[in-house]
Amino acid sequence: MRTLTSLILLAVIAVGIGFALTEVPFGTPKTEVGGYYLEHGREETGAANTVTSVVVGYRAFDTLGEVTVLFVAALGLGAVLAAAGGAGARREVEPASLVLRTGAILLFPLLVLFGTYIFLHGHLTPGGGFQGGAVIASACLLIYLGSRERIISRVGRTVTESLSGLAFVLIGLIGLAFSAQFLSDFLPKGTLNTLFSAGVIPLIYVAVGFKVGAELGGVIDDMVKETR
Amino acid sequence: MVNPVLLLAVPLGLAFCVPLFGMASRRAASFVPAIAALFNVVVAIRLLPEAIEEPIVVCLGGFSAPFSIVLFAGPLGLLLAALVALAGFVIAIYAVRYIDTGAITKYHTLYVLLLVGATGVVLTGDIFNLFVFFEILCISSYALVAYLGDRGGLEASAKYLIQGAVGSGLLLLGIGMVYGLTGTLNMAGIAERIGAVPSVPALVSLALIVVGLGVEAAIFPLNAWLPDAHSSAPSTISAILSGIAIEVGLYAVARMVFTVFGATDMLFFLVFLGVLTVLVGELCALAQSNIKRMLAYSSIGQIGLILFAVSLASSEAVAGGLFQLISHTLSKVVLFLAVGYMILRSGSKEISSLEGMGQQMPLTSLAFAVAAFSLVGLPPFAGFPSKFMIVRAAVAEQEVIFLVLVAVVLVATVIEGAYFFRVVQSLYFKRGEKQAVRQEAPSSALIPIFVVVVLIIVFGFYPDAVVRVLEPAASDLVRSTDYIRSVLG
Amino acid sequence: MSFLQDYAYYIGAFGLVFIGLLIVLVQHNLIKVIIGVSIFDTGINLFLIAVGYIRNGTAPIFSRAGLEPGAMVDPVPQALVLTSIVIGVAVLALALGIAVRLYREYGTLDLRKIRELRW
Repeated sequence: MRTLTSLILLAVIAVGIGFALTEVPFGTPKTEVGGYYLEHGREETGAANTVTSVVVGYRAFDTLGEVTVLFVAALGLGAVLAAAGGAGARREVEPASLVLRTGAILLFPLLVLFGTYIFLHGHLTPGGGFQGGAVIASACLLIYLGSRERIISRVGRTVTESLSGLAFVLIGLIGLAFSAQFLSDFLPKGTLNTLFSAGVIPLIYVAVGFKVGAELGGVIDDMVKETR
Repeated sequence: MVNPVLLLAVPLGLAFCVPLFGMASRRAASFVPAIAALFNVVVAIRLLPEAIEEPIVVCLGGFSAPFSIVLFAGPLGLLLAALVALAGFVIAIYAVRYIDTGAITKYHTLYVLLLVGATGVVLTGDIFNLFVFFEILCISSYALVAYLGDRGGLEASAKYLIQGAVGSGLLLLGIGMVYGLTGTLNMAGIAERIGAVPSVPALVSLALIVVGLGVEAAIFPLNAWLPDAHSSAPSTISAILSGIAIEVGLYAVARMVFTVFGATDMLFFLVFLGVLTVLVGELCALAQSNIKRMLAYSSIGQIGLILFAVSLASSEAVAGGLFQLISHTLSKVVLFLAVGYMILRSGSKEISSLEGMGQQMPLTSLAFAVAAFSLVGLPPFAGFPSKFMIVRAAVAEQEVIFLVLVAVVLVATVIEGAYFFRVVQSLYFKRGEKQAVRQEAPSSALIPIFVVVVLIIVFGFYPDAVVRVLEPAASDLVRSTDYIRSVLG
Repeated sequence: MSFLQDYAYYIGAFGLVFIGLLIVLVQHNLIKVIIGVSIFDTGINLFLIAVGYIRNGTAPIFSRAGLEPGAMVDPVPQALVLTSIVIGVAVLALALGIAVRLYREYGTLDLRKIRELRW
């Protein structure tokens, strides 16, 4: 009964959306803002990757919000799981196999390096703070799988999270002080396609990379604590 | 001139600092939300006179509109931001002592972020930015509803989360469609171009957006999550959710319908929906025996009333709706905060266990009674001028259907009176089983509660002080051509 | 045929959206409902990217000299999707945390049995 009503409801919505989509033709340029960003992104922000110049340049405020959302979720998860107090059944877990252990230890520095590369070069190649942070967090997960030790200290992760978030807000406030607009660019733009270009964008991405890495690592830590 | 972006940047920065303070001292961390909220109250009120003259438009990032994200600090936005901050401040002071279990530092950080999310929603001029701040608001409320970790709270939070996540997804779908149809994400830009879009696609995308926002705004039939969530959360969170979160959701719906889409055909449907919401809310409230669930259903009824008023679209009706919003926020905050300590003292959430509280907790009961009378709409409290304005505006429409709807609303008011008087009767005229020992709530609770009670009384005696700000705020909402001109020039 | 080719991406994206919605509406197991929400989010993200596609466009990165801005796809939906994916992950993490606690309190993940709050 419930399935039937759900299907009917979804069919009605599908018909409505179908009609609406006739006005959104596939594959044609629909916007002037997109064209503007492509044309002027390089001069106005200095980043070769236009998506980065949109995410961290033109729409940097959204990125600040996004970082905050992740912060909220990590905090919320910590608060919800904290009351549990780890009272779960502590089963004996067998140690990881030799391949996993060795592989984890060997891959960990490479993954961290790779993640760092991704967020440092966000303005030159596809990537950026979020992607890099996620790779670093998966490096931490690998260690959890391999050696079963908890390597992320609570203090370290809280301090990193808070300081990188503050750094992002401070960069914005400095921009406000310099040119009366929050998050405006106050560093020189350099030459295109080099590492030290694009003004504040690499700095923001570094802060974001650290923050996301610490947060996702913290989420993994909280979840893993439940199973011990 | 103070840059309105500070209303968002400073509390956000403070929120990032709270965990650091928390590592040093939990006590220190628990004062930060109050400081952040106080900052916002001061700045918002300071900016209000300027914004009434000419709305303040801030282009973030140093780029010009419509290629950057725009903050639109108009009279409506700043008024709501001030309200959010005021309620946030009062509840934060109360929470310093009331919240004493669980991960306290995380509670306070999440609380500040909830306020940031709400402030961002009312100040933004870009629909995707609206989505991002809306998510900040929603996700922090999912986490805070589950804060106590008891069975009820977890269940309520899970159901709230699922419904909210689906709603947010529909909202994003609508935003994507709007971008495909108009090519811009700036609210003023969309308002300019939406006229050129054929009506079916525009209506479909508006419908998706309204449904998505409507989950948080608790419009019938999307409000199934509300009674559980508002009754199982800690009382401070019930207060901020009923007092701020659903109102901000309703603001977002109104902003989309009026300013961005200019969808005047949809308004009649929304009027009906509002009245339906009122009926559902008030009837269900009457049947409750749990005080917090009763208050939660009452919130649903009030949101329906505000939706009804705003959808009538005349300037008096919108101003009346906004006044009702303010008076509901103030009253609901007092009601939930008062009930917080009453439940603590009596040990149960049942209305019957509140018998005799008039002797046991006289000041708290007085505050409850004042707020209840204001909500029902009795003079000389703030609820009277607001309801009066709404009824007068509806009658002025001069069509039979509106008179019928007003009659329904008045019947609902009578029902409201019934269940609130029942509680007040319990408080004052029934003897409790236990000895009536005076065991009042601590002053950290009474002072914030009475600050708001004083405001309820002041606004009741001098409604014109409020109406003077409400009229520009109402035209901010309704006149899209002015909005477009302010942003795009 | 060309209609299908054109709209294949929309159909695929909305297919995922509707599958996700159906799962959320019909399923009783909380974890399956959460997976449904995740599928729903994925479908929406695909739709957003499809809105931004321009025929024969390439990625909007000026990695070498001589790339024309005219021949690139719209970068704005890609920025939106970046944000949306992160928000989706955040909601998923919180949902799973709540699910873990719920299982501990109730001993079951069946939504029909987790009904302590009545009316």
